[in-house]
Amino acid sequence: MNRDEAIGGILIFLFGAVTAYCSLSIPLGTFRAAGSGLFPLGLGILLMGLSIVLLAKAYVQRKPISEKKPRSEVPRSTKQVIFFIGAIVLATLFFKPLGYPLMWFLLLLALLRILGVRRWVYTLSLSFLTATGAYFLFVLWLQIPLPKGWIGL
Amino acid sequence: MFESLQHLITGFGIALTIHNLFYCLIGAIIGTLIGVLPGLGPIAGIALLIPATYNLNATSAIIMLAGIYYGAMYGGSTTSILLNVPGETASVITCIDGYQMAQKGRAGPALATCAIGSFIAGSIAILGLVFLAPPLAEAALAFGPPEYFSLMVFGFIVLCNVTGSSLIKSLMMAVVGLIIGTMGIDPVTGDARFTFGSMSLLSGIEFVAVAIGLFGIGEVLTNVEKPLEFLEGKVLVPRLRELYPTLQDFKKSIGPILRGTGIGFGVGLVPGPAPVIATYSSYMVERKISRNPEEFGKGAIEGVAGPESANNSACQSAFIPLFVLGIPFAPPTAILLGALLIHGVSPGPLMIGQHPALFWGVIASMYIGNFILLILNLPFVPLFANILRIPKKVLLPLVILFCITGMYTVNNSVFDIWMMLLFGGIGFLMRKLDYEGAPLLLALVLGPKLEVAFRQSLMISHGDFRIFLDRPISMGFLLATLLFLLIPVFRIILKSTGKGGGFRGSTGGNKA
Repeated sequence: MNRDEAIGGILIFLFGAVTAYCSLSIPLGTFRAAGSGLFPLGLGILLMGLSIVLLAKAYVQRKPISEKKPRSEVPRSTKQVIFFIGAIVLATLFFKPLGYPLMWFLLLLALLRILGVRRWVYTLSLSFLTATGAYFLFVLWLQIPLPKGWIGL
Repeated sequence: MFESLQHLITGFGIALTIHNLFYCLIGAIIGTLIGVLPGLGPIAGIALLIPATYNLNATSAIIMLAGIYYGAMYGGSTTSILLNVPGETASVITCIDGYQMAQKGRAGPALATCAIGSFIAGSIAILGLVFLAPPLAEAALAFGPPEYFSLMVFGFIVLCNVTGSSLIKSLMMAVVGLIIGTMGIDPVTGDARFTFGSMSLLSGIEFVAVAIGLFGIGEVLTNVEKPLEFLEGKVLVPRLRELYPTLQDFKKSIGPILRGTGIGFGVGLVPGPAPVIATYSSYMVERKISRNPEEFGKGAIEGVAGPESANNSACQSAFIPLFVLGIPFAPPTAILLGALLIHGVSPGPLMIGQHPALFWGVIASMYIGNFILLILNLPFVPLFANILRIPKKVLLPLVILFCITGMYTVNNSVFDIWMMLLFGGIGFLMRKLDYEGAPLLLALVLGPKLEVAFRQSLMISHGDFRIFLDRPISMGFLLATLLFLLIPVFRIILKSTGKGGGFRGSTGGNKA
């Protein structure tokens, strides 16, 4: 069985199972007067059924169900993605205390460095200029109430 | 009819004042820019700009916000074609052939076809809006819950058939979207579902968070996974001489544009994300009637012209239910409804009589706005194409920051950013495991309406499922649904008997 198909099928089957299980704690009602849980219960069961069909077909055919392109020759950089996501998560975590313009500046600086833009003058000036531009556009001109943070901008 | 014409002339008088013309222009420009910027669609764009209209009168405010809506529709196709990132959800389908055209160095003709098609479709749809609004609104009113349910089921199946390489996987994604759509307060009974005690989840999962997450963040992460040298090497720069369409392109496009206009106008009148359904329906129709269906998915200009025209046409006709019934059938018109209410205008059957200046002024401004957008888009196609010249190493982080900004402005909530990031991660995984995001998104938007229609239908029929077959329109949609479900089965049968080799389309082969 194709590993990706199996992982996807099992994960989605579990999602369907959890949905169906949680739906049972919501009033189901009758077909005449359906309760809040009936529709999600039906969807959970349907999703489990579709996942089983996918898994069964993957098992029987022993090849990808879909016409997935062959795995790219491009080597994958998981470390880069982890750092990238980590920087975004940190920025979101400190969005309010940092404030909008400072968050923009620091996050852009970090993401540019992660993606290999090495020249400090370039990254610093680009981060500063775009942060200033975004501040003027969104905060001053459009007057959107974005977090001011401890710098009060 | 003459009365409508007279009102329209009055509307032009209102829309052509310097003040309103200025706001129409501003709306069109901002809309195009918002559409061009990946991650910022019309929903986030309109939400972003509502505070800027507080000091304007209601007519000018709605003229500007409506301009952003249809401007974003024009601009949204740009990122689909150039970056394979839909600027807004209605442009998802444009990615399929538009991006392939860009890969072949034909980004310019694709963009120009979008602009021309959108102008023609928008103009025709506005005329339809003026002259056909009353009878068509009446026809849409004849739809009861069973018809809405069957129509939405039909929409799902069409979508699942046209996206991805596996019908089962697309259906699974649609069901996942429907489940996510059930989160929050039950619209019928008021019970909280799957909120796990969180106040933020009571209003359900924010649609914009899912849209930006799956398509914006997911795409960025997929790009980031590639090593640095590949990021730099993948930047596409179309040559200037290739930026305008040929006569052959025009000939190929005009049919799809007119058909797309008709499909879009009709779909815009019924509930759901009309531009999204319209684009998929138009794409499906074009692929079905094409002499060369195998070219679809590989850069067929018909696959861009039809859906983009349908998109704009649906966007214009979606104003009919908003203005005439006071019911927003698509997320952007829902935000426009909010803006109308903020400005003290309550849309509904009485709106035309109570606010004629606003109603006819906005309609006339749409025609002017379409003309502005054509002037704005066509000569500046090379300018927009220049976005490709920005290195991906710089563009990707900027996309993330625009996504965060846009997401925060919808509800001024950091929780929504977390949701967007969560769905970004899911979108990234989905790409790795070869699952399509579009069925999930459509299901999320339509889910609550589908559920309400389903439950109301059963209430009407006292629990009898035959209600969906007893009503002719509903049965028609269900038969069409069955047909679409059987197409992949027929393909397999034909293939297994050795006669179906020629049936395998680029996106439709091996569907089961």
